[in-house]
Amino acid sequence: MYNFVGYGIAMLGVGIGLGLIGNGAMHGMSRQPEAIGKLQTVMLIAMAFVEVIFLVTLFLGKSLLGG
Amino acid sequence: MDLTRLTTTLLSKVEQFGSKKEEAHIVSSANVFVYFAFVLAVMFLTIHIAKKGVNGRVFKGWLAGAAEQLYLFIENMVVGTMGAGGRKYMPFIATFWLVIFFANVISLFFPHSPTADLSFNLGMALISIGYVQYQGIRANGFFGHIKHFAGPKLGGAMVIISGMIFIIEIISEVLKNLSLSLRLYGNIYGGHEAAEAISNLAGQAMHLNWFPAGTLLVPIKLLACVVQAMIFSLLTCVYISLVSHHDHDESHDLEAAGAH
Repeated sequence: MYNFVGYGIAMLGVGIGLGLIGNGAMHGMSRQPEAIGKLQTVMLIAMAFVEVIFLVTLFLGKSLLGG
Repeated sequence: MDLTRLTTTLLSKVEQFGSKKEEAHIVSSANVFVYFAFVLAVMFLTIHIAKKGVNGRVFKGWLAGAAEQLYLFIENMVVGTMGAGGRKYMPFIATFWLVIFFANVISLFFPHSPTADLSFNLGMALISIGYVQYQGIRANGFFGHIKHFAGPKLGGAMVIISGMIFIIEIISEVLKNLSLSLRLYGNIYGGHEAAEAISNLAGQAMHLNWFPAGTLLVPIKLLACVVQAMIFSLLTCVYISLVSHHDHDESHDLEAAGAH
């Protein structure tokens, strides 16, 4: 019944995580503009890993708890 | 729209030939095959058109130039991750990138796509991780590859921690399949679901029944197409480089020599 609250809390964590990754990437890129290419690549990898957490929550919720 | 109706009539014809019990399975698997054949047709057609601009010296035509930029991008990614010896993995990684990218782009225009199907993504993830295990066994031997999961060599009473590290590493290696497949499935099928949800919301809240508002998500889904293809290929490169350390040391030496 309250599974949307669970999804909301999961998305809160993912949102904060993605924001922190972006923050670190911005700081690094502003310190060393010549490393922007490498930082962009690593930032995208980290964002993919954090997104997976929300997708796993979504599919586990659907299959286990019927939401 | 006509192509979708064509495929649904095709699928109903296939359904008539299947047995009555397994109708649903045959329709869903035929769905993936039909759309995958379409993906292959689009991919080979694009490559055929791009090949016309390829001659000896300079690439004419924007599609040949774009294909050259794509090759350089994938080569940069592979060599940056695995060193100069990684060039022999180029066909493998480039195949993954091309199949995933074209299947993702097709998912923008059609209701089904190979990458919007969990089984297809799981198959691709199993191939990728299986290839990583094969490279590890080829580089380190079978027992050397299993020993590399146990982490650093700890002595004395810390052997129990080594055992725990081993179990966690084996579980993590199996879960790599889950994360690779679920990431791609969630992004592409989630794009479909999000478009449907936004269209329903616009129909109910703004009474905008004549215009499917979910199609306004296409630009961000296009970004997700490219990024997800790149992430799958890049993670495969990273997993291969973690398992076979051949030319990694050379590139580190070059970097150290250049920096100082």
